[in-house]
Amino acid sequence: MMIRSIRELVAYRELLWNLTLTELKLRYRDSVLGFLWTVLNPLFSLLILAFVFSRIIRFQVPNFTLFLFSGLASWLMIQQTTVIAVGAVVNNQALIKKIYVPKAVFPLSNVLARYVDHGVLLLILLVFMPVFGAPINWSLLFLPVAVLLHFAFSLGLSLILATAQVRIRDVQNVAAIIFQAFFYLTPILYPIEILPEALRPIFSWNPFYLFVQLIRCPVHQGILPPWETIGATSILAVASLIAGAWIFFRREKYFIFHLS
Amino acid sequence: MSKEQAAVRLEGVGIEYHLNLNGGARLRREGIRAFQSLGRHRRKSEFWALKDVSVEIKKGEIFGILGGNGAGKSTLLKAVAGIIPPTEGKIEREGTIAPLIELGAAINPELTGAENIFLAGSLYRVPRKEIQRAFDEIVDFAGLRKFIHTPVKNYSSGMFVRLAFSTIIFFKPDIVLIDEVFSVGDQVFQQKSFEKILGFKERGATIVLVSHDLGLLSRICTRALVLSRGRGAFIGPVEEAVGRYRQIVQSGELLDGDIEAKREEGGTTGSSPTETKIAETALDPQGRWGNRKVEILSVSFVDGAGHPKKEFTFGERFEARIAFASKLGPGEKPVFGAAVATAYKMLIYGPNTLENGWPAEQAVPAKGIVKFIIPELPLFPGEYLFSAAVYDETLGIAFDHHELAYSFRVTGGPKGQFGTVKIKSSWELDPVI
Repeated sequence: MMIRSIRELVAYRELLWNLTLTELKLRYRDSVLGFLWTVLNPLFSLLILAFVFSRIIRFQVPNFTLFLFSGLASWLMIQQTTVIAVGAVVNNQALIKKIYVPKAVFPLSNVLARYVDHGVLLLILLVFMPVFGAPINWSLLFLPVAVLLHFAFSLGLSLILATAQVRIRDVQNVAAIIFQAFFYLTPILYPIEILPEALRPIFSWNPFYLFVQLIRCPVHQGILPPWETIGATSILAVASLIAGAWIFFRREKYFIFHLS
Repeated sequence: MSKEQAAVRLEGVGIEYHLNLNGGARLRREGIRAFQSLGRHRRKSEFWALKDVSVEIKKGEIFGILGGNGAGKSTLLKAVAGIIPPTEGKIEREGTIAPLIELGAAINPELTGAENIFLAGSLYRVPRKEIQRAFDEIVDFAGLRKFIHTPVKNYSSGMFVRLAFSTIIFFKPDIVLIDEVFSVGDQVFQQKSFEKILGFKERGATIVLVSHDLGLLSRICTRALVLSRGRGAFIGPVEEAVGRYRQIVQSGELLDGDIEAKREEGGTTGSSPTETKIAETALDPQGRWGNRKVEILSVSFVDGAGHPKKEFTFGERFEARIAFASKLGPGEKPVFGAAVATAYKMLIYGPNTLENGWPAEQAVPAKGIVKFIIPELPLFPGEYLFSAAVYDETLGIAFDHHELAYSFRVTGGPKGQFGTVKIKSSWELDPVI
């Protein structure tokens, strides 16, 4: 079943490409700064956060801006992607009811379009690294792998939630709330060291924190992430992707009965 | 019929809808249902939209599907297109499929015409190169050269339809599924598209066509399937299929859904003694209004010899007899009206008795029959709808109006002429000096 569905997706690759392109094109078609907003938007929220946390709350973290930026980049890759892709099937119901297409093109094109944005953002981060006086070394070559793991993890998550959303339309709202909670429960804005000793092991096994480390280690500290972190995130990414694909491909035939 | 020749094969196909699941259940409802299922068994409203449908459509065939409202025509077409999975049975298809189920489904209004052509192409899995090759032809056929780089949201509805249709037509699918699309677009474009679709046949493409237009079906189809309440009632040559369909319509079988729906609406319309009578003869029992100060009791069609019938030949005398009962006082005078429309509900002609100098001086009897006579029926073969109505003298107050509630059929038009109505015309030739 999985292999047939994947083969079908390959046959529809031009549609996937067109849908992704359409999404990117339409988002900023009528705005003056156009595609720049993809970068400007997170950049400004980052600068605000950086100002608030470095001037007002003051954590004892060297190079706090990069610390924050790397954490947020990882977080956005998973949270923003997933929250948008949850509605992928339901939002395209008009089309799904009229023409046969493999439904996976919708979440997949959503996720792909987001990762184009994320890619641009990361490139900007790399360009500005010397400005912040960050250590630039070979560990940065790990970033493509880190992005790939983020991609697999968030795609799997998106497929699961998009499937659930078809059946129960509250999923999107619930997911947004859970993500919000995790945003504060994950050491993104603050260093894990400020937590009480007893809580630290629990927090450090938070899957989102493991992914944060994938970006933060090379960008902020100039080192490769610990091997156990790479191993754990790889397992999470593969498991999420397989589970997502399995659930989605098994249910996609019946989506039509739940769309109106 | 060998297996290789089949373009579409359905074997014992059944499709079941769970009505209460439609539209995506919300958490609350899911919760309630889970709770209920703990107690007595769950009450589901199941409904078989299709049941035991087996049919084999040959390659290169134009195949018609007939059936009343809710008979399962659209569901069948969607099942063939792969949009709805069959609950039971098997569907096999050979080659690429382009469903023209609803025009414009593939169009994104935010994109330009050109961008939409490429997007639609990829939806139908046409390789990019092929789209590029057909691009100019598509644009010219749609007549949108000037606006092709304008976002579609700024198109008129006619332009929209032309774009949608043209893209699909030029992608040369092996199997085309058509659901009543010929009622859209202007006449010229309709004709152009129709010819284009018939041209598919020469290429060996298969066409599956759902339509209410029996004239159209019998003109272009070779075979047809008649659906009645989700079951195949007949498969075979189109003439026989049309006959069988007509039989079913007359027996009222196909109308059950409509009539039940009407009853559920409750007392708003009231149940006058004639209500059932109209439901018997009416094709569409909706569309009756008026205060019933004059009531239309029945409408029947008779030929020159006074025999009632529903099928007329071109050029024959046609008479509609409108029986009425009046409760009007001596001062009040009714105006009777009639209207003839195509199967697509396009009005052809709608005269009333004012043209006759009515209401006349003499008082209208409490009961009577008004005859609407067409001495030589100028209509080409096909299905036609008929309205009968009584209004007050000012045409402002409806006494009783039966909108397109009756139907008749015309056969045997003049050879080599096309259209709906025969218009008196002639040809002349002048040499230019």
